[in-house]
Amino acid sequence: MKVRTKYVLLFTLPALILYSLFVVYPLLDSLALSFYSWKGVGPKIFVGLKNFREMLFGNFSKEVFNAFFHNVYFFSLATVLELGLGFLIAFLLASKLKGAKLFRTVVYMPNMIPLVIVGFMWSLFLNPQIGLVNSFLKLVGLKALARPWLGDPSTALTSIILVNVWRHLGFYVLVILAAILNIPPDLIEAAYIDGASNWKIASRIVFPMVLPTFRTLLTLLFIGSFNVFDMVYAMTGVQAGPFRKTDVLGTVFYRTAFGGLGSAYVDMGLGAAVTVFIFAIVMPLSILYVFLVEGRERSW
Amino acid sequence: MVRFTKAGKFLSYVFLTIYALIIVVPFAMMVLNSFKSMRELFMKPFSLPSTFRFDNFAKAWKFANIGTGYRNSLIVASVTVLIVILLASMFAYMISKYDFSFRRGMFLYTMLGLALPARLAVIPIFVLLRNLNLTNSLAGLVLVYASTNLPFSIFILKNFIDAVPNELCEAARMDGAGVGYIYYKLILPLVKPALSIVAIVTFVNVWNDFFFPLILINDRSKATITLAVSIFFGEYSIQWPLLFAGLTLSIAPTVILFLIFSRFFIAGMTQGAIK
Repeated sequence: MKVRTKYVLLFTLPALILYSLFVVYPLLDSLALSFYSWKGVGPKIFVGLKNFREMLFGNFSKEVFNAFFHNVYFFSLATVLELGLGFLIAFLLASKLKGAKLFRTVVYMPNMIPLVIVGFMWSLFLNPQIGLVNSFLKLVGLKALARPWLGDPSTALTSIILVNVWRHLGFYVLVILAAILNIPPDLIEAAYIDGASNWKIASRIVFPMVLPTFRTLLTLLFIGSFNVFDMVYAMTGVQAGPFRKTDVLGTVFYRTAFGGLGSAYVDMGLGAAVTVFIFAIVMPLSILYVFLVEGRERSW
Repeated sequence: MVRFTKAGKFLSYVFLTIYALIIVVPFAMMVLNSFKSMRELFMKPFSLPSTFRFDNFAKAWKFANIGTGYRNSLIVASVTVLIVILLASMFAYMISKYDFSFRRGMFLYTMLGLALPARLAVIPIFVLLRNLNLTNSLAGLVLVYASTNLPFSIFILKNFIDAVPNELCEAARMDGAGVGYIYYKLILPLVKPALSIVAIVTFVNVWNDFFFPLILINDRSKATITLAVSIFFGEYSIQWPLLFAGLTLSIAPTVILFLIFSRFFIAGMTQGAIK
């Protein structure tokens, strides 16, 4: 239908203005800021590519790459667990088990709780002296396994990732389950009549059919894994645990831009450079995500 | 529909039950231990409390400023939802139902926002709000949340409005209905399910966020629930029963609402990410 410009402006401008002012402009400004040195107040000094040099090759690079590899580890482990377990549990739930509905509610519940609260809760459970995890291990005779989970450099990051999986798994289960339930039942029926085992049905029919959903979830996991902050902040603080063993790009950014006790650098320009770095990693996948979700509805 | 043999069914139940316990037990432990004394928590972590000490909750409520946190989060989340629903539906309606130049361009421009993690822009947002004198204010948070939740909301609403037959709008037009009338009397009632999805997803996003309050709010009286609890955590690190009580209180409203309306929440949140 045709419409007068007056109406177009009336209906679209409020959203466009708000979005431009608080999403688009800040992102562009972040990019611009990464070429400056700035304490947040006082003069901004143009430093060209110095922030990026410092971040990629200078002293600061050790910290950044240490964190970067933690993000990579985070992504890898979270993906294996969330997609793997997610698929397994969704497959079990796709049968006519009694109580499946109740179960769906239970597995989704942690998703309603703020990440930072989940982090605090588990940091108490994982406490070395009186945390419930160690008390439980002692109770069942596995005292040898008890350790200061978040204080031990070898277990700190993995513990955080596992807690993260605890929080998110239900979401992946439900999305994969929805995809499985979308498969035409005849396909599966026919396979049963031909005598296929559940393993064959899972690997030859169900898995290939839900692959598009996996691609979308994988993209979400990637974007999420490089934006991790709340959970690490809650469980091991902005100094990121023993020897920065749980440091991620999000905590490096926070320390750099907004400070934290004992931070060597407080520079918003350098902080902005860190966000540009994260952005460069995430951007290609983010665009792919938009295409994946948009590709489902071709209305143009 | 997947089928299992008897043994397969039994194994599935065992596996699923263990997983359910891994989810439920920590919640139960948090609540149970918030009734104990520190000594009892230390000596008998897994037992039921010998006496239910409700004063832990009273203290936590007071020291963690839970009431203030609830109030602020409720204000910020509700106002954000109203703004997002209004602006996103107006925008999506215009884009979906009318022809004009830049139509596709405008849509793609807003869809960029789906790809850009807003928290990466937090420094300029902080500076912008500081210049507008809106740091330490709920209004500042509302502006940030409303803008960052627009792209997804527009995306969902446009999909639903696209599904409303154009003939319907044209017929209304023939009968003399104006652009605003069609929006208000025809489109909005027809896309109610989408509006509730957008409302739920936005509300939960805002209620659960910690990052923006951490950076934009210093004043305790303006702290949202997540920020209030995190300040409390820093200060009472020894008083575990109090900490558990504070955590329980902070999540109680959402968990109770979720258990009552779980169907809608689940539909809303999963649509939210995948649609």
